[in-house]
Amino acid sequence: MAAKVVHLALFKEEQIDHAAEAISRLHELGISDRDISVISGIPYSERILGRPMSWTNIGRIGLAGAVLGFLVATFLNFGTPLLYPIRVAAMGLTPIPTSIVVTFELTMLGLLISTFIGVFVETISPSFGPKGYHPKISDGHIGILFSGPAQLDEKIHTALSELGAEVVHEVEEEKLWP
Amino acid sequence: MAAETNLLQAVKPAEHAEEDPREHLMFDPRPREEMNRMVMEAMTTTTRRYWIWLIALGLGVAVLLFGAWGNMILTGIGVAGVRRPIFWGVFIVTFVFWIGISHAGTFVSAILRVFKAEFRRPFTRAAELMTTFGLAAGALYPLIHLGRVWVFYWMIPYPNARWLWPNFRSPLVWDFLAITTYLLSSTIYLYLPLVPDLAMARDRTKGWRHTIYKLLALGWRGTEAEWYRLRKAINIFAFAIIPVMFSVHTIVSWDFAVGMVAGWHSTIFGPYFIVGAILSGVAAVVTILFVLRNTMKHFDYFIRVEHFDALGKLLLVFSMAWAYFFFNEYLLSWYGGDAAVKQVLTLHATGPAAWVWYTMLICNVAIPWLTLWNKTIRRTPWAMFIITLLINVGMYAERYTIIPLTLGHQRSPFDWGVYNPQWTEISIALGTLCLFMFLYLAASRLIPLVPVWEVQEGQMAHTLRKVGKAEVPSVTELEE
Amino acid sequence: MAEQKAPQKWGLVVDLDRCTGCNACIAACSMENNIPFVGEDEVAYGRGLYWLYNKREWRGEYPEIKPAFEPVMCQQCGNAPCEPVCPVFASVHSEEEQINLAVYNRCVGTRYCANNCPYHARQFNYFDYELPEPMNSYLNPDVTVRRRGVMEKCTFCVQRIVRGRQKAAAEGREVEDGEIQPACVQACPAGALVFGDVSNPESKASQMARNQRRYQLLEELGTLPRVTYLKGGGRYGG
Repeated sequence: MAAKVVHLALFKEEQIDHAAEAISRLHELGISDRDISVISGIPYSERILGRPMSWTNIGRIGLAGAVLGFLVATFLNFGTPLLYPIRVAAMGLTPIPTSIVVTFELTMLGLLISTFIGVFVETISPSFGPKGYHPKISDGHIGILFSGPAQLDEKIHTALSELGAEVVHEVEEEKLWP
Repeated sequence: MAAETNLLQAVKPAEHAEEDPREHLMFDPRPREEMNRMVMEAMTTTTRRYWIWLIALGLGVAVLLFGAWGNMILTGIGVAGVRRPIFWGVFIVTFVFWIGISHAGTFVSAILRVFKAEFRRPFTRAAELMTTFGLAAGALYPLIHLGRVWVFYWMIPYPNARWLWPNFRSPLVWDFLAITTYLLSSTIYLYLPLVPDLAMARDRTKGWRHTIYKLLALGWRGTEAEWYRLRKAINIFAFAIIPVMFSVHTIVSWDFAVGMVAGWHSTIFGPYFIVGAILSGVAAVVTILFVLRNTMKHFDYFIRVEHFDALGKLLLVFSMAWAYFFFNEYLLSWYGGDAAVKQVLTLHATGPAAWVWYTMLICNVAIPWLTLWNKTIRRTPWAMFIITLLINVGMYAERYTIIPLTLGHQRSPFDWGVYNPQWTEISIALGTLCLFMFLYLAASRLIPLVPVWEVQEGQMAHTLRKVGKAEVPSVTELEE
Repeated sequence: MAEQKAPQKWGLVVDLDRCTGCNACIAACSMENNIPFVGEDEVAYGRGLYWLYNKREWRGEYPEIKPAFEPVMCQQCGNAPCEPVCPVFASVHSEEEQINLAVYNRCVGTRYCANNCPYHARQFNYFDYELPEPMNSYLNPDVTVRRRGVMEKCTFCVQRIVRGRQKAAAEGREVEDGEIQPACVQACPAGALVFGDVSNPESKASQMARNQRRYQLLEELGTLPRVTYLKGGGRYGG
């Protein structure tokens, strides 16, 4: 199956209402949320645009990292002193108060590093939805990428132009990351 | 009736009439395209003066830091002034100083982000860069001051042929873990909000810059999923990095407080050090903002008098908090009846180096209290520049008082000693200052120093609403 | 072998009434433990390497003044503040001798232990020190030489303790009281220093330590020092 033809409608930064309206028009024309993706220079919540909620796993990945950090800290605190017991002062081999410090640091380290790894992995993994990019996005434009059946092209074009969009047809997917 | 109206007019404060909300960056929006252009221009414009500074600082790093350090490694720690009983000197003082400076970035961009203090927006990145580079400079010192730096890796926990793990009961190992955690997480925290700005820079550059930005921007397009992920991550970081920040300087203070040294063994050292760190860090932010505003193109649009004003208020509050903790620590030690501790405190104030102690009090308390209450002073950038430099002088004096001046007069008077910093120590301390400035200067032309998307987001949320006859600043809650 | 008795607890008693301040203990200590000479300038700056030093103070009003001496060495604390702060276990508690060990080869030179020692008994090698001819031939093969960047301190001549114990074990007997003597004790002409097993109440050191004149340095800090001083009051042995 050949890749679907993707179009891009660009709205200026102050035309956020129009962009939201454009999305509902596309819905009306029978283009589902699956075939639409919105790209923008600043974050707009899904509520503003009337789009389904995104989801991400980084919270869970972060939590897993925290657990891993905790386990490593437990090994360092209570395992390593037993591997090679060395007495210092009148302190026990594995005192609890000092272990709390190490546990805290390594748990946080695990949480934060794995949150970042989560972002990184999710960012470079393949995503669904129409692809495409335009440098105007980082100038604050709101871009709606969509693909629909060819016979609807004209209808869509008029609908979007009415709202003041600049429509780019047949957007090529750019290779943005090596 | 008429008299009453006159009275009302007379009472009406003049300042209110003058203040235009458009003085605030958030109420003075410009199109994103223009802001992008301004930031890109600021980043790519380099003057002759810039290169002279950069080269001079680079030479400073090479000679003052690595030259002196190399010489010290080859000959021995003896070229520093440390002697029995003062085994820690300028190196540890400067270490604490840099770690303190590094608290500012997190404070500005995490705590102010969590509390939605809107004035933070244009300079979060400038502050985060300070954190990262301050830590880079500070983290060198635990290595510099080691007697045998070539075996520093013995402090790292990893399975090794010696069958020996580090001693997790030692505060130095906690230090190592805390600084590692903080350095890694604050670098990531600098990087995450940078990604959309790197994408912006990627779209606007060619050549080597384009290659770098393309790589670093991770293929950022600005899709809903990407934004959602980014904001979620920033949120996790903002909340999680705050306790990490607190832990870092607390553990630095524990290096002293767990000890049996009279004058160190204090339960209040943790919060006392944190407040001091934030005081010196926020002061350093102001210092840097002044320099950025005066040297970088278009920065007078982003960094405004209002920011100096707001940070000045914070500084006043932290100066008061510092004085509170200092007094608390001082009074109770003095009252407590331990003769050795009392002797240490007396010698701080009357001993041969009492001028250090008075410098600390003048710069940390007298100067901020006498100046920062005044709105006109807070709104005069060059005055703030001088005040904040002095605050950092005061904070350095505080650490100097706490470390060598306390170690020199311990319980056994026969063993009292005086410590004289030697040129190697001074050179290395200046060398790390050069390192910090060099890294900052280089980074200011390599990454967009203003988080443009955050500024635009803020400007979209701020509007002037007409209520009656007045235009009232109002904020829309766009973030959920 | 198979002896499961409690470890000996080595201790030192210093009778200040007998100490004449001759400093023979310091010289003997330096010879025994390969302590280098650091040179005049370094000593003047306060970097003299002495594992044992003699605190001297002047008592009385001029012209009626007398020196008082107090030899101070590592107190071999039972609860040593220097031990837990070391990140690399270079300062540890010896289970066998019940003393505080300095493991020179493990030391990375953070100098934290030295700051935390209330007796300032720890010394640091600021440079590599060369022993002048012919002193370099005097080195004691039983003691590690230390290079620059490591801490060192009095060990109660642990090499002599170990050797004495081995000798007794080889001859199939217990270590006798007074058989093991650190260099300073051996050198003291006035017999002001007495070394022995303080866990044995019959040893000479234990007997001497049960004295009205006994005190320990900074006892109130709870470091449990193993060195007991007998206060001098001009009684000269009384």
